[in-house]
Amino acid sequence: MTAERRIVVDDRPMAFRDGESVAVAVLRTGEHPGHGGTLCLAGDCGNCVAEVGGVAWVRTCQTPARPGMVVRRHPPTGGPRLPAGAQAEAMGEPWAPRVHVQREQADLVVIGAGDSGRAAAADATRDGRRVTVLDAGAGVEVVGIYAGPTIVARTGEGMLHLHAHEVVVATGAAEIQPVCPGNGLRGLLTGRAAERLYAAGMDLGTAVAIGTAPDGVPCTGLAGRLVRFEGDDRVSAVVTLDDDGAQRRTACDTAILGLGRTPRDLLARMTGHPAVRVAGSAARTFDLPPPPAEGVVCPCTGSTVEDLESLWERGFRELELIKRSSLVGVGTCQGGACLPHLRAFIADRTGQAPEPFTARPASRQITLGEAAAGVHVDAFRRTALHDEHLALGARMDRFGGWWRPWHYGDHLAEYRAVREAVSVGDVSTLGKLVVSGPDAVEALERLYPSRVADIREGRSRYVLLLNERGHLIDDGMVLREAEHRFVLTFTSAGAGNAEAWLRDWIKIWGLRVHVLDRTMSLAAINVTGPLATDLLGRLGLAQPPAFLRHVHADVAGVPCHVMRLSFTGEVSYELHHPVDRAVELWRVLLAAGHDLGIAPHGLQALQGLRLEKGHVIVGMDSELDSTPRRLGMDWAVRMDKPEFVGRAALERTAGLPDARRLAGFTMPGPAPAEGSPVTSAGEIVGHVSSSFTSPVLGRAVMLGWLKRSPFPTEVEIDGRPASVVSPPFYDPEGARARA
Amino acid sequence: MLALEPLQGVRVVASSEALDAIPSEDGATVLRLAPDDVFVLDGLLDLAVADPHAIVAGEPGFVGSWLGPEELAAIVVPHIEWPLPAERPALAQGFVAGVPAKLWLTADGALLLCAAAYAHELTDRLR
Repeated sequence: MTAERRIVVDDRPMAFRDGESVAVAVLRTGEHPGHGGTLCLAGDCGNCVAEVGGVAWVRTCQTPARPGMVVRRHPPTGGPRLPAGAQAEAMGEPWAPRVHVQREQADLVVIGAGDSGRAAAADATRDGRRVTVLDAGAGVEVVGIYAGPTIVARTGEGMLHLHAHEVVVATGAAEIQPVCPGNGLRGLLTGRAAERLYAAGMDLGTAVAIGTAPDGVPCTGLAGRLVRFEGDDRVSAVVTLDDDGAQRRTACDTAILGLGRTPRDLLARMTGHPAVRVAGSAARTFDLPPPPAEGVVCPCTGSTVEDLESLWERGFRELELIKRSSLVGVGTCQGGACLPHLRAFIADRTGQAPEPFTARPASRQITLGEAAAGVHVDAFRRTALHDEHLALGARMDRFGGWWRPWHYGDHLAEYRAVREAVSVGDVSTLGKLVVSGPDAVEALERLYPSRVADIREGRSRYVLLLNERGHLIDDGMVLREAEHRFVLTFTSAGAGNAEAWLRDWIKIWGLRVHVLDRTMSLAAINVTGPLATDLLGRLGLAQPPAFLRHVHADVAGVPCHVMRLSFTGEVSYELHHPVDRAVELWRVLLAAGHDLGIAPHGLQALQGLRLEKGHVIVGMDSELDSTPRRLGMDWAVRMDKPEFVGRAALERTAGLPDARRLAGFTMPGPAPAEGSPVTSAGEIVGHVSSSFTSPVLGRAVMLGWLKRSPFPTEVEIDGRPASVVSPPFYDPEGARARA
Repeated sequence: MLALEPLQGVRVVASSEALDAIPSEDGATVLRLAPDDVFVLDGLLDLAVADPHAIVAGEPGFVGSWLGPEELAAIVVPHIEWPLPAERPALAQGFVAGVPAKLWLTADGALLLCAAAYAHELTDRLR
């Protein structure tokens, strides 16, 4: 004798039979798996949803019962409880197990294994197609079809992402649910649900049938139109309206509804992809039900006919608008129960049935884990020195698509090493392109607003990169290596876009230029500080380049492209070298500079150092529509050049008044928070984009925007008076960087 | 666990015609990353390229791992959303577990490559 198997529903054990769903097991006890409403037992409505195994909104009619399965009904009002994720996290447990994703390619996918699905599969097989059939009955529940077409399905093992050449949606037709007073009672079944329960040996009591009677189920057929169901909790009678206008009340234990069918085409409506077609009943046009007169239209949201009428009176006429305003169709069943009634409601008033509303994934409630299965967060890159930074105690953070050291424990000590001794910084993240070709000069002249042709070999120039509207999109250096060959650098965050920008223009212009991205092939270390030249001299750089010059030379035996420039305001050499030599070079630099007081610096120190020099960080101090004029960087634009990207816009707007300027601010005391408003005469006239309490100057220095003209010379920031000044704040002559 | 090792080779950006003429004998594997861009695995810098403006540079920026057919199917294929090319040899490029990567597919298996900067991410995600 087989031991009785049980599920646990609201803390009470309930027996179930082989192959039964949770809903049928509950119904067998005389209870309802939800809180009432017509049951279809086909997954079309949301009347049987409950929490199963800790997951809410599960259609219990589609869930096979398993021993020990824990089921909890949703509260009668309001939503089910959220998973106790925070509690799990506090216990050091994951919120939910990772959901496995199976990715497959397919030729023809047929969704649904009913008559039409099997026929479509058979036809395609005869034609030599490879056919994959997905059927909820076999445990593969399709929840969405995306562009591609890509099918997302839930299986017993996790999620299935199926990329198909063609999809046939053969999901059949759903039974229409009743809309009338009392349609939320228990004891209401669609015809097919009644057939299934009767076949499973369940006693339906005194059953009446409205509309088409179910096959083989003992019941009394009622004539006339359905008016309402009566009963306190469970249906006790059905009231119908005869053709002669008389109401008839019929007592019953179960009311069986045969009100017609509607295409189960939700999946097909998710995509307009031409490779997705509908077959069988899902493609048929069925008669709409009579227009609803009274009662709940949408069992999922509780929206009523009265709600629809109210909207109609206020002028809502479009199906999609009524859906959004009434919430009819946005609930668990996504219109499975209410859509035909909503269409009938509109058709009755306009004389024309509207097309069904748009469907969107997911057609079934899925967990966040299922939705996120196989989705990866952006991959952040690590420089070759990542582990070196960690070994030095760096606090790493994500900037511009890279992990970078924010500080090594004391950003002011790092700052002092740069200003007073020597420091190293990992600038491997800078964009680095090599361009070469007979038209390289022509391309760069057209791309940049600065002159490029007159940069001599071994020299470099700071450049802006503008878009067609003359707005700053990046900045960097142009370094000339040979007559037709240059190295370009870009910001860490802007490098990817800048490369695409460069390649696009070269292609559009039809110029003969080769481009090689070296960003992830070359590491770069910035050696900076008044003792930087001494340090590099110890490591074999006997003839360091002068300011804005560059050479190829070995440093401690590592081949480097040595670029003399300065972002910190001190003597600086960027050493660009193969990534596989980075650790070696980094360690040698730190060791050789030990007695010089060398320390690595992170981004926090660098941001202060560059701010003292008034150097702009694109995207931090600039805005999406920052022109060189607004940034105070007209000096980097040569309007006497005949052509460059953005020139026409700059020329067109040059004579127009412009009430926006990037300015420097300074005041005694500590720096205010970045983003602080800048006020003048009690009005906000701008904001702070960068701020730093300068150790060397003993006051706060800032960059920020003034957006009211005439531009004030004195403002208030953080409730304190501040002066508007022209940066740089530190070493305005640039003598230290050129030393 | 997937072990991605540094790869050595030469990167060449040049005209398509010049790249077409690069010999692939001597054991070097020429991966055509783009019409104008190749990575010559184990190639040398003195590679002859018939384009006076070609950019020829040592390429230390890739890491990779050779995978047998079963490893490819078990480790990589579940993490790609694009079909593998049927022909062999073939170079496929795209996201593997959300990381930009390349697959050099041969009759014996595949070389999985990615930029060294992404090595940790790819290794973690294919764990």
